[in-house]
Order: sequence, then C-alpha cells, then structure tokens
Amino acid sequence: MSELQEKAINTEEEPQWEKLGTQEERKWPTKTEFTPEMLVEMEKMLPSKLNRVVAASLAGCIHCGMCSEACHYSVSIPEDKTLVPAYKADRFRKWYKYRYDWMAKVFPSFVGAKPLTKELADEMYDKLWGGCTMCRRCTFNCPMGVDYGMMVRAARHIMQKVGRIPQHLQDTVDTHYNHGNNMAVPQDEFVETIEWIEEELQSEDGCENFKIPVDKKGAQYFLTLNPREPKYYPLTIQATAKVLNAAGVDFTISSRYWDLTNYAMFNGDDADAKLFATWQAEDVKRLGCEYLLAGECGHGYRALRWELPNWVGGVPFKITSVMELMAEVIQQGRIKLDKSVWAGKRFTYHDSCNIARSGGVTEPQRLIIRACVDDFVELEHNREEGFCCGGGGGALAMPEFTPRRLAAGKIKADEIRATGANVVLQSCHNCTDQLKEIIHHYKIDAVVMNLAELAAPALVL
Amino acid sequence: MENQVSHALAILEEPVQYVCLLFMASMYAIKIYQLVKKPFPPERAELKGDRTAGVIQSMANIFRPWGMESSRKNLYFYTEFMIFHIAVALTIGSTFFIPLTPQLMTPTVSAVIMVFMGLAFLIGLRRIYRRLTAPEIRIISAPDDYFAIILMTVFFAVGFVTMYLWIQGKPETGWMWVFFLMTTFFLIYVPFSKISHYVLYPFGRYNFGMVFGGRGVLNRASHDLSWDPKLRK
Ligand code: SF4
Ligand code: SF4
Repeated sequence: MSELQEKAINTEEEPQWEKLGTQEERKWPTKTEFTPEMLVEMEKMLPSKLNRVVAASLAGCIHCGMCSEACHYSVSIPEDKTLVPAYKADRFRKWYKYRYDWMAKVFPSFVGAKPLTKELADEMYDKLWGGCTMCRRCTFNCPMGVDYGMMVRAARHIMQKVGRIPQHLQDTVDTHYNHGNNMAVPQDEFVETIEWIEEELQSEDGCENFKIPVDKKGAQYFLTLNPREPKYYPLTIQATAKVLNAAGVDFTISSRYWDLTNYAMFNGDDADAKLFATWQAEDVKRLGCEYLLAGECGHGYRALRWELPNWVGGVPFKITSVMELMAEVIQQGRIKLDKSVWAGKRFTYHDSCNIARSGGVTEPQRLIIRACVDDFVELEHNREEGFCCGGGGGALAMPEFTPRRLAAGKIKADEIRATGANVVLQSCHNCTDQLKEIIHHYKIDAVVMNLAELAAPALVL
Repeated sequence: MENQVSHALAILEEPVQYVCLLFMASMYAIKIYQLVKKPFPPERAELKGDRTAGVIQSMANIFRPWGMESSRKNLYFYTEFMIFHIAVALTIGSTFFIPLTPQLMTPTVSAVIMVFMGLAFLIGLRRIYRRLTAPEIRIISAPDDYFAIILMTVFFAVGFVTMYLWIQGKPETGWMWVFFLMTTFFLIYVPFSKISHYVLYPFGRYNFGMVFGGRGVLNRASHDLSWDPKLRK
C-alpha cells in the first residue's frame, strides 16, 4: 500500500455533503466592446504573457505561408483568406511588433506593426476566439516551430482578463469556479446519478456484481468524468464502468472533484486553471489513489496529464487515461472482446488534437479498436496529423461563432465520408458534439461513439 | 585566383566588413539574450518521450522533408527552399573567401557558386511573383517581406555577374563594388529585418522539440506501445 493510500484510509471521514467550488460566488465582468481603458490594461499585461515559447512564436514567423493548408478553417473555408493561420496570428503579432520589434520603433508599417487600437483588438477577438481552436496543426507544419497553442492562449488570456471573452465560455469557467464542476451538478444529485447508473449496470447480463464505488479510499484509480456524462450521457459512464469492472480494475469516482474539464485552458486564465487543478489534485490525495484517471475527454486529458502538474507544481500520484488503461487491460488479457457484435459495420477514428498532437496518445486507441472490430479505416489525416474537428479550443462554448465552426468542420466531414464508415469513434466530448453536428450538417450517414461505448457491448463476461 | 584590388576596395572587403560583422553579431547577441532571459514554460508532468531526442529531431527538421506534411506535399517548394538557402550560405561565404582565401575560389568552385546563385535568383523571382499573386501569401505580407526577397534576389544577380567577372580574372569591377556594398548593407540591416529569422530558427525548433519530444509525439514509431511507463520496462 502506498503512503498516499495509507494516509487516506487512516484519515477521518469528512462531512458527506459540502458546498463545492469557492465559498463566494463570482461572475466575471465581461464586456461587449473594447474601451480605451481596457486597451491600457492589455498593454500592461502583455509583457507578463511573453514566455520564451510565446515570444519566439511572435517574433519568428517569416510569412512563408506553409501553414496555410494545415488549418481546418483555411482549408474548409478557402474563400476567406483571413483565416490562414499566419493572418490570424498577425492580429496579435502586429501589436507585439509595435512594442518590441526594433525596426518597428522607426518604421512600424514597414514590418506590419500596429499599435493596439480598438480595431486591432476587435480583429484579435474575432480571429483568436472564433477562428482558432488552438489545435496546433499549423505548428506541426511550420518550419519555424511557431506554437499557436501557447501564443493564442496568451492572447486570449489578455482579452479575458479585461473582460472581452465570449460570454458562454466565461460562464462555463465561472460555473466551475462557483460549483466545482462546469455544469453545476450538486454533490447529492451527482451521487444519486452514479447510484442509478450502478443499478442500471447491475441489471445488465453478467454485471450483477459490478460496482461504481464512490469515494472509495485507497482505490487504485480515481476516475474522472466530463460533466456532460452525468448530465446527458450516463450510458457513457455505464460503459466505462462496465469495462473497468470486467477487467477487475480497482477504481472509484469522487463525490467532489470528479470533473476533469478545465475550460480555463481555453480562456487562458492560469489562476482559475490552477484552482480547478488543485481541487482535483487534493481530492486524489484525499482518497489516496495511485492514479488520476482521465475519462474520455480531449482537453480534459491534456489538462490533467500535461498541465495539472505544472499548475499545481508537481503531484505525488500518476496520471493516465481510460484509453491507455483499456488498451493495457486488453494487452494483458484481462478482458475478452467479441468482434462479432460489431460485424457489418465500418469504423473510423477521429483523434482529438489534445490527446494526439498535444498529448502524445495515438496507439492505445487503435489497439482497442482493432480488438473490438474487423472493419476499421483510418481517416486520411490521422494521429498527430489529424485535422481538428472544429470543436476544440472551447469553440462549442462560443455560440456567436457557430456558423464558422460548422463551416470549418467541412474537411473533417469530407474525410469521414471518404472512409465510408458507419461509426465515427472518438475519445472527447467536445469532439462528440462537433462530430454529431457536422455529420448532421453535411448529411453523412454515421453515428458517433466513444471507445468505452465500443468496448462495453463487445465484452465477453 | 588572385585578389589584386585597389586600396579602397580592399578596405571595403576587409576592415569595413569586419566592423559590420561585429555590429551584426552584437545585435544578435542582444536579441538572443532578450529571448533566453524569458522563462521556458515548465514541464513537471512525467514525460512520455525524450526531450533531447525531440530537440534533435526538431532541429534536423530542415533535412527531413517527409517530417512535415507541408514540405512532404510540396517537395518542389522544399527543393527551392534548400537551393535558396545553400545559395545564401555560399554567397555570404564567398564575400569572405574572395578577400581572405582567394586561392580557394578556383574557377570550378566559383562556377558551382554561380550555379547556386543563378538558381537562387530564379527562385527569388518566383517567390516575389508568388508573394504578389497568391492571395493567402499576399494577405500576410508586409513591406519587409517584399523588401527582403527582392534584396536577396538582386544580391544573387549581382553575385552571379561578379563571380563571372572574377572567373574572367577581373577582381575589381563595378560589380564587385556593388557586391561588397550590398554585403555591408546586409550586415547592418539584417538584424532588423525578417532575414534574421535564421537566428530565431534554432529557438523555435528547440522549443518545439522540447514540448512535443517530452510528450512523446515526436520519435514515435506507429507500433510503439511504450505509452505506458509500466509497459516500457
Ligand atoms: S492552431 Fe489549429 S485552428 Fe489555430 S490556426 Fe493553427 S491549425 Fe488553425
Ligand atoms: S508556417 Fe510558420 S513561419 Fe510560415 S507563415 Fe505559418 S506560422 Fe509563419
């Protein structure tokens, strides 16, 4: 037993129901327009956002245009040249150059530098919130290594800080801040939902003894969920729990900080991101789990696996994902799968950018799929080279940009159609929603499913 | 070959160049200092990959056209890029070889350099045309972008003629004066222009290699199941 597990088990039980999130509720003061005062504040903030990667990315673009065909916006909407990555980034870069470029001190327009005006800030708002999902596909195609993920996030934070942020995106962050999860699911309601899902699971053949333990101290895995699951997709939790039970995985779900999402990754606010990450890290310690286990959620995986240790300054537990764990139990022969369940259907897989390109997980998913189905066809661009579906970067929480989001999904829709697949697999809730929308919008005859939903029906119990 | 030139041209070819070179190096040193004094984003997560291997791969990106879709699908563009940059190195190099080691600038060596200069000149013309006509390039172009490519293209043309005359045994011509005056201008101007991107290049590639190498995205064989440290043992 690890030190963490031992400590948790020996610790007195805390009161069962508590107010999650912060004690004092907050509503971030958002603005509908940039004012001169806001521009002054933004000027003050800029230097603090320039770490080495952001600064090199702002200074390093040579306007070669090699990224133009890398972005799902510019590829799907070729008639709008203002959606090519370098043009979008230049809305921020012009301001940076005005402040820091040597030549711009004398001849600003010669190097394309511009002072931060309301017009330029408006363009930044339009292109960096509504025209970039921070998917980093352009980064992988840029000879200079310009990191759009970090650069755009820095710009977003500057705008967010002065209140200029898509309202719904900030509301999502505020909800997480105020309630401990981004859909304000109360603790008692959440536990009831899990109990109900457990009953449903136990009513399945061969699952009579399966459990979904809540707040089990010393469990090996601390399973986290996307709030859309208890709210709208309880069957996903059921499917995940079924696979974990079948494999004999010792897991638990916390009644408190079970939400793995962190929309502060999208609005750039490190203070909030750190707060949400801290809540979760402390909760893992409270239950003494060996692993923090990310459910199937793209940005959630990245937020936990790669960003959480940075935000909280290191953690005494390991972090992995359901995809990796499922692949591991398949490899170890701990579950048996019957492919005939899916006979007659063709599958393809969409890689979430945050899991593949920014997360480094591409093969476990394929191992799971190949264990479950015979007819699997890769998308033309896959793994770290896959196009963003258009739902990343918080795009689904920005309804004002919905028409552009749907239009930008065309390349993904075309690639899905070309595979002839009936089922589009993925491991991310934002991708789920976007893929469902584009499949409907572009009239493709396919359904969207995650990997637990693929594996659960194929289990031989 | 011998480099018998007037005292004035000799001054331009050597001391003036050295002073300008020193100026350029100082400007770059300041630029690099300003960049490296900024913090590198922390990575406290348990790494999946090797950051050093990632950096090496990322740095070698220039020799791996298959590594990026944008170069893989535009091999013609990539070839142009390589020729152009080799020509830059050779042309700048020849401004040192001519005064310092004229014996190295044999007709064969000079002819090879001329071939690269000639090709780079044609590539430069094509790049100017592309920048002026391709809408997605035009929209991102600033005067600096046009000026840089025009300057380089003219430089290659001047270098080509200069080298031709040099092979003919004419070390001091009006062209040679223009060639070295342009070099002098370059040394002073480049640190302030986009042409200085080659100084930032290693930083961008290093950053990329560190971030994505550590996360196991680079150097990953498709059959590699080492995504879980437990299975790696
Ligand atoms: S990060 Fe993605 S969405 Fe943003 S410009 Fe690059 S390719 Fe386009
Ligand atoms: S590929 Fe890189 S350097 Fe070239 S235009 Fe795009 S961001 Fe700039």
